Amino acid sequence: MDCPEIRDAFVKGELPGGTAVLEHLRSCRQCSELFLHEAELGRSLAVAAGGGMPFEDDLFAKLEADVAQETGLRAWLRSRPTRLRFVAAVLSVLLAVGLGGALHQRADFAEYPLARLVLLLSVYAAGILIAFGKELYLSARRGSHSDHVGLFVGALALPFLIAFAPATEASRHAGPEGALGCFMYGALLTLPTAALLWAFDRDDRPSLRTVCLSAVALGLSASLVLELHCPSGNAQHLLLGHASIGVAWLAAWFLVRRASVRS
Amino acid sequence: MTAYIAGEKAAFRELFKRYTPLLQRAMARDLRSPEEANDLVQQTFLHLHRSRLDFEPGRKLKPWVFTIALNLKREYFRRSKRRHETSLEDDRIAEPFEGPRGQERSDAARETALALSTLPAEHREVIELHWFGGLSFPEVAEAVGSTVAAVKVRAHRGYVALRARLGDQAPDPDRVADVKPSPEGSH
Repeated sequence: MDCPEIRDAFVKGELPGGTAVLEHLRSCRQCSELFLHEAELGRSLAVAAGGGMPFEDDLFAKLEADVAQETGLRAWLRSRPTRLRFVAAVLSVLLAVGLGGALHQRADFAEYPLARLVLLLSVYAAGILIAFGKELYLSARRGSHSDHVGLFVGALALPFLIAFAPATEASRHAGPEGALGCFMYGALLTLPTAALLWAFDRDDRPSLRTVCLSAVALGLSASLVLELHCPSGNAQHLLLGHASIGVAWLAAWFLVRRASVRS
Repeated sequence: MTAYIAGEKAAFRELFKRYTPLLQRAMARDLRSPEEANDLVQQTFLHLHRSRLDFEPGRKLKPWVFTIALNLKREYFRRSKRRHETSLEDDRIAEPFEGPRGQERSDAARETALALSTLPAEHREVIELHWFGGLSFPEVAEAVGSTVAAVKVRAHRGYVALRARLGDQAPDPDRVADVKPSPEGSH
């Protein structure tokens, strides 16, 4: 005799008894609670569990209609195994970094300190991988909104923290100019990743969790791309041209979320 | 599930038949509206369809389905900003019960549902999954992302609180004398 068998007996309207039940109750304090006071709790829960909802006959027909609409590129992409979706998302970031590096490297790239490169790559990579993992994998422990908001704030703060790492002379003496160019550059290069994350989302309407985690991953990806593109360590420039991309993606995801409600 | 992944449409219907009553029961206790519960059940199966290639053969399907369902339910409450507490005026729970003792049973069911709704979410969730979703404690642990021991502790605390709320606060000396439970149980 085990807990489910005792529960099932109660639900069937029987009062479980016998030596097997007593033997189980000696070692199971959960089930023991069910039997106290002439098994009042067990009986009460059984009555509540025995009730059902009026069954909607056409529920399966509606589901079949929904499933029949699962055609096209987005339906195919979001039904891919999560491992594949995760790898594809990571590859899209690597592509953006590679493309960004190929298009335009920062002027002081030759003098770029190795310690900074290692620090930067490991911190950004960890942040991006965590965001993708939390967003794409099914998890019973999804975390609260405050966790996701905290991650987002951390992602925004990262470009500033990185600015304290060993830097080049050019980086220390740069001014705030060129922020709009950096914003456009970073936003454009992370656009394919944003499109991919949207396509991969299995919800019809992005959840707040998806909105936050996407913005984290995209903001960090953009900062990483820009770190290899722009030598500026100016706080105003970093705020307006680099960190602002995460905020812009957050706003874009909220717009997608709102549009999904209307549709 | 393996048959469904292989493309057998009949297997999806079979899954639907098997899990819909359990999901509806588990959803209905919080939502208390057939339409909302059915909508979430439908979304659960749609997610199941979209996630089907993630399913690993040999893994238990029931906790996986309930993990999807619980995530959708939590998201639903976040969106609608509804409270989990059930309404005193809501009498939908009486609908399924018929016969001479129907009213009595529906009153008892409503009373239990109300008492359940006052429990902390983590205790209530475990009890609902075990009793209404038909999951064993190891399956509940998998569905909520916790350990079996932790889930049993939550169930025990929930049961104690539930008994108190149902007006059964006095200890039963005979029963206590009969049973000497260990801290964690044995399953």
